[in-house]
Amino acid sequence: MKAFEEEKTRVDDIDRTIYDVKDKVDAAFTVDSGLTPEIVNQISVEKKDPEWMRLFRQKSLRTYNEMPLPGWGPSLDGLDMDHIVTYVRPKTGMSSKWEQVPKDIKNTFERLGIPQAERLSLAGVGAQYDSEVVYHNVRAEVEAQGVVYTDMESALHGPYAEMIRKHFMKLVPPSDHKFAALHGAVWSGGSFVYVPEGVKLTIPLQSYFRLNAPGAGQFEHTLIIVEKNAYLHFIEGCSAPRYNVANLHAGCVELFVGENARLRYSTIENWSKNMYNLNTKRALVEKGGAIEWVSGSFGSNTSCLYPMSVLKGEGARTEFTGITFAGKGQTLDNGSKVIHAAPNTSSRISTKSISKDGGTCIYRSSVVITPEAAHSKSSVSCESLMLDSESRSDTIPVMDIQNDESDVGHEAKIGRISDTAIFYLMTRGLSEDDARSIIVSGFAEPIAKELPMEYAVEMNNLIKLEMSGSIG
Amino acid sequence: MNITLNQVNLLPVRTWKWLGVNGTAVEEEIPGEFAAWEPQALNLPQGIKQNTAAFDGAEQIETGMGKDAEQFVLQNQNAGIHLTAEGSAEEPITAEYVLDATCPALADYNTIYAKENSSVTLVLSYRSQGGASVFHTSLTKIVAERGAHVRLVQVQLLGDSAFHFDDVGVIEKENAVVEVVHVELGARKVFSGCKARLEERRSRFEAETIYLGDKSRSIDMNYVAQHIGKETESEIHANGALLDESQKIYRGTIDFLRGAAYSVGHESEYTLLFSPRVRNRTAPLILCGEENVEGQHAASIGKIDPGKLFYLMSRGLSEPQAKQIVIEAQFTPALEKIPAEALREAVRDWLKERMSNA
Repeated sequence: MKAFEEEKTRVDDIDRTIYDVKDKVDAAFTVDSGLTPEIVNQISVEKKDPEWMRLFRQKSLRTYNEMPLPGWGPSLDGLDMDHIVTYVRPKTGMSSKWEQVPKDIKNTFERLGIPQAERLSLAGVGAQYDSEVVYHNVRAEVEAQGVVYTDMESALHGPYAEMIRKHFMKLVPPSDHKFAALHGAVWSGGSFVYVPEGVKLTIPLQSYFRLNAPGAGQFEHTLIIVEKNAYLHFIEGCSAPRYNVANLHAGCVELFVGENARLRYSTIENWSKNMYNLNTKRALVEKGGAIEWVSGSFGSNTSCLYPMSVLKGEGARTEFTGITFAGKGQTLDNGSKVIHAAPNTSSRISTKSISKDGGTCIYRSSVVITPEAAHSKSSVSCESLMLDSESRSDTIPVMDIQNDESDVGHEAKIGRISDTAIFYLMTRGLSEDDARSIIVSGFAEPIAKELPMEYAVEMNNLIKLEMSGSIG
Repeated sequence: MNITLNQVNLLPVRTWKWLGVNGTAVEEEIPGEFAAWEPQALNLPQGIKQNTAAFDGAEQIETGMGKDAEQFVLQNQNAGIHLTAEGSAEEPITAEYVLDATCPALADYNTIYAKENSSVTLVLSYRSQGGASVFHTSLTKIVAERGAHVRLVQVQLLGDSAFHFDDVGVIEKENAVVEVVHVELGARKVFSGCKARLEERRSRFEAETIYLGDKSRSIDMNYVAQHIGKETESEIHANGALLDESQKIYRGTIDFLRGAAYSVGHESEYTLLFSPRVRNRTAPLILCGEENVEGQHAASIGKIDPGKLFYLMSRGLSEPQAKQIVIEAQFTPALEKIPAEALREAVRDWLKERMSNA
């Protein structure tokens, strides 16, 4: 059989040179490793928490201690919470000028291309280093439209304090799962965005999260409120240098999308391969609103990430477009969850995964259509490529449909390139190698085209394909 | 007497607990004793031998519903058919069980050992009479040796007060083919499961399931094809309709183990929904530890195409008749695999009656 021939297309490992540069760990303050009420209290004191937040953290810690580890998903045996440092404050305050950021930290973000991107194509940037935001800035013309883009700590103490209190961990309560409870107890950093009614931001905002300290955790909280008829594109990037000890990322993203508003949330995640990425993301979408998730997942030792869309208002919709690339030693358990809770809602999930060198990709999803969500539509499509037999690729979707006025379609495909597609291209004059090359490039293309240009280029650099035969 | 099974129809890989698809607990009252069932005289074709007990090693074969269900049948068995196929038999072997108030509990344990290049078809049907509360559990284990061809057809038309489960385990050797057809149209609570291990090259497994949920029926299914040998093939297909307040969980898994190179697995599930109070859960899994394979899954869940319904009604059919035709068309691939015309007719009549009452 020609399609099963032995010569393989080579897919290079991700080049991590720029991500793996380590800064000397020179923190201003670090809590002891482990989790105790005293350590959590120390974080509250350090961060000058209001009393309600101090109590919230302590309650979350109790919830964390009471909850079991998840009974499904990848092994978390390599993660020992007694050795994770939950708060590391860098030796600098927050600044709105890159010149004021300490040189070594600034150099790190320069290498990652953040200041350049800000100058060229972003409406505002936030940069977090370990547990605290070190840089936050938003263009004056954006601010003039009433858009708020600031770090969570400033928001918690400023004029938006009540808004934060009203929304903070309401969409993802600490009781949701063990790592949401952990987040509630030790969260630090992250961004708050408020887009007023009718404001449509044509250029994106970006937050970048960098974890430098070994054996540490990053627990940033992102809270975004997009009011009626508004639009925002928010980009999130994450990376860390590689260490021999486990690091943990248990961030939380809560998105509130108003009536007829639209929010696009793009993530390029490139954590180091000692990272446990146990992040929780959720969006609540009102009538006619839309949440669009675009997700590229390349890093981490272990990842459990399933952005959830709760379609609360009539006609709300969601789209999830994701690509996952798992290499040696990685188990990336990614996917999406959707709850259709109102009539005429729609969802579309489209994912691709590539696994190689013993890496494991797992696609996990759930689509729930409640009895109230009549005339809803959902379509799910996932495709997986395996590049060798040391790797794994599992697909675990579940659909729960609770009314008869909805339409749900699902398709999953795993394996090699279709002979018919190659044959078709060859009948158009292409050589077999060129035909395969085009098909493999096309595999990741639907995701790449959803990203802003510079991120599409970055993603293409992350997956370098060398065509020299068949794939899969 | 009660039946309590902690977990049946376990999903091969667990997912979020709140979805309720990882496995199901069974708690049921059994309406009577498992009294010895009158042995049936079978129409054994030439080349097929009936035995008094299961073949050696049958207990090692894993089933779709799992250990708890298997042990229950083994401990309570009061009927069963144990066959060895040595030659090629065209004629199906049929057995019919009718449960009623005097014989309300049946646990039939069946085994088929198909020797090299043999072929055999076993058709089992289950009905109940007089609206009695009845209880039926079934366990069937199959080994198909090199080049053997086994067909197992189980048709369940039990009344609305019945509890029912069908559990099957299959092992296939080189070039063997096993076809399992499950027709699950009756009972109040229905469980069915099948696990096939395609151990040697070019073996093929086909599972065709049709189900009908009406009134408050719950249907819980688990089908697993495990590809171990090279160039193995699996086709797992389910078609069903849910009416009234019925609910259903369908789990279908294609599992390519490392080494199962050049194997192909397809699964599909099509469900028609006819009532705003139904609940349909589907978990189609593809697990893959081998690169040179092709796995595909497709599912479509929704209401009947209104255009199709309108067309049929414009030709003079009533709405229930039009719906019945659409459902019957969907069930055709499985119905065609029932080798007895009388039984096929009984299934069609059953559908007609159920749809006219819907």
